[in-house]
Amino acid sequence: MPVKQQTKQNAADGVVRFENVGMRYGTGPEVLRDLSFSLGPASFHFLTGPSGAGKSSLLKLLYLARLPSRGLITLFGRDVATIPRRDMPELRREVGVVFQDFRLLNHLSVFDNVALPLRITGLREGTIRKHVIELLTWVGLADNLDARPTTLSGGQQQRVAIARAVISRPRLLLADEPTGNVDDAIAMRLLYLFEELNRLGTTVVIATHNDALVSRFGRPRMELEAGSLKFHGVTAAASSTADSDGSKAEAQSKWPLTLPKLADNLSS
Amino acid sequence: MLNLFAGRFDLPLSRDPSTKLLPWIVGLMVYLATLALAGALSLSGLLADWNQGLSSKITVQVMPLGDETGEETQARVTTAIRTLLITPGIAEAKSIPIAEIAAMLEPWLGTAAHVMELPLPRLIDVTLEEDRSPDIEELSKRLAEKVPGATLDDHQFWRSQLFKLVRSLEVLAALVVGLVALAAIAVVVFATRGGLAVHREIIEVLHLIGAHDEYVADQFQRHVWRNCLRGGGVAGALGVTTLVGLRQLAEQLDPALLPTIEVDPWQWGTLILIPIIASLIAMWTAKRTVMRALARMV
Repeated sequence: MPVKQQTKQNAADGVVRFENVGMRYGTGPEVLRDLSFSLGPASFHFLTGPSGAGKSSLLKLLYLARLPSRGLITLFGRDVATIPRRDMPELRREVGVVFQDFRLLNHLSVFDNVALPLRITGLREGTIRKHVIELLTWVGLADNLDARPTTLSGGQQQRVAIARAVISRPRLLLADEPTGNVDDAIAMRLLYLFEELNRLGTTVVIATHNDALVSRFGRPRMELEAGSLKFHGVTAAASSTADSDGSKAEAQSKWPLTLPKLADNLSS
Repeated sequence: MLNLFAGRFDLPLSRDPSTKLLPWIVGLMVYLATLALAGALSLSGLLADWNQGLSSKITVQVMPLGDETGEETQARVTTAIRTLLITPGIAEAKSIPIAEIAAMLEPWLGTAAHVMELPLPRLIDVTLEEDRSPDIEELSKRLAEKVPGATLDDHQFWRSQLFKLVRSLEVLAALVVGLVALAAIAVVVFATRGGLAVHREIIEVLHLIGAHDEYVADQFQRHVWRNCLRGGGVAGALGVTTLVGLRQLAEQLDPALLPTIEVDPWQWGTLILIPIIASLIAMWTAKRTVMRALARMV
């Protein structure tokens, strides 16, 4: 079967592969030009660049909210342009997204928001309950299960958004300015959370323009400028500074890292 | 599998102003449809009754001629009966007694004894054989030859006029039901489109976390089904109550003045099904509307 062969071949290219990708909104100018890169499994990248450089547009391509105007995008080895509309949802379930404005459903409780990605898959309510409570406990929101998102602080809402993004154990995790609304200490904690997920095998891309954070974390950086992409290696020491160590310790004490257990539960 | 009576709502549809009116509008439609359909059904029953009563009968009228005496007229009636009875297809022919005719004319002519002496037309009640009817035209001609002044009425004119009237009323009722259904469908389409527009962002989030179109459509479907069933159920009950009330009013009148308007048990069943059928149509409409709209989204 040629299709299978193609899938196998593409799987070697990693989680994401872009080839001469261009994107424009309607008939406007191209906001992304000639992007060619690939992201391997369990890689971790920051996506940086000035405002309006196209970071959000690139993320939209990655979470399948838009299709490219030209070029080839493969996600988990599948050419996104040829995926029938019917099969899109299954592919989207492999991608977790923390939106810049969270996009929580304000009429639903925290619990229901996080449960949503599992509910749409038709999982049994008992199983859903167990996983959601475990994850919300893990992100420190066990006491807010029934709260509406609007009654929470920005940082808490962000954690709900993150919990929703990771509850179904996506293979690709995208975050758009996840540190935008929170102070540095919380930002560091969130990044450690992403690192933890990355260690479990999730490919992570974080869009940010917080350069200090990027350099402190020492992860490869993709820099978008005027629609074109440049790759940078690790620009600062990957090892922790005193500052981030403190945050890390705090993060771990606050959120007992039982995620491996959660992962086991979800995959079983 | 779509669960019509349970399940969660991820879209706050019940708060939409566009869908809040849905039970009321659908209720109104169901009420109108119930009355129109009940009207059509009882008219059909009435027509069938009349038709049955008239189709097996013909009436022959023998008019008194000039200064003819009663006996002479009666003799012509006897000739007419004899002519009728030798015609194939006629089961029975009997003269209606003069006293009965006088009784029928009583409201106009009074009860005086001399009414009997007036030159009253004589009537012959003819019953046709069930499976074989005579050639009415030929019979009419033959009768007129043998018995001057005899005319034959097979009620055909009356029957065809009645038939036309009732059929027109039935078509009208069907038209009302059809228009009501179209209006209800339009209401559901607009309410659903309104809901889609209001909740566009939520639907987009549902899509992005991997919900199928059916998952979103299911929310609308169940919402529309419940609301229509609620409004339609109440309206259907009101419709049936109205009909029962009308029937009771009709029964208080002199039954001789009104033909009986009856609704069969199975016809009652049809009326009770209206809200359910309406809700199913509404649900299907909502699904189609949502699926078509979502197909245009990425």
